Amino acid sequence: MARQAIGFIETIGANPSIQAADAMCKAAGVTLVGTVDIGSGYVTTIIEGDVGSVKAAVDAGAEAANAAGELVAAHVIPQPHEELVPAMLG
Amino acid sequence: MARQAIGLIETRGLVPLVEATDVALKAANVSVVGTRATGTGLISVVLTGDVAAIRAATEAGGAAAARVGELVSVEVLTRPHDELEKIMPAG
Repeated sequence: MARQAIGFIETIGANPSIQAADAMCKAAGVTLVGTVDIGSGYVTTIIEGDVGSVKAAVDAGAEAANAAGELVAAHVIPQPHEELVPAMLG
Repeated sequence: MARQAIGLIETRGLVPLVEATDVALKAANVSVVGTRATGTGLISVVLTGDVAAIRAATEAGGAAAARVGELVSVEVLTRPHDELEKIMPAG
């Protein structure tokens, strides 16, 4: 199975991140890996799936986050290093 | 075993840090000790490996972070003191 791509939407505030998560899951066949809070309202939602789906989902998520609040970052890593997800997201 | 060097990359926001860590892991033979969010939107990753690998990885990782978001700091300690072990973030 090809390694999964991972996608991120980082917002200020939980509400926009939940709107983005909802939009991402509805936009394409991706799975929700989880969310990470690093303080000062920075909330990142992480999804996983094949590259095409993750890109489409992150685009939809960015739009939803913008509509609901402040989008900080929208990003896709097509082929993450295998140590990345365990090391970063526990 | 030669004592390991450590590399530190700190960004504002998680996305630039994840990008930096991905690039760093791919750039050289280094591994992640752990990450530490300091509560103000800053988050830092601690990498370890031999001196040359850490130099290459932190440089590549720092550049990648700056392309994606806000890079706050990049530091390399070629010969960290043993006592630092006590304050390293949990893996």
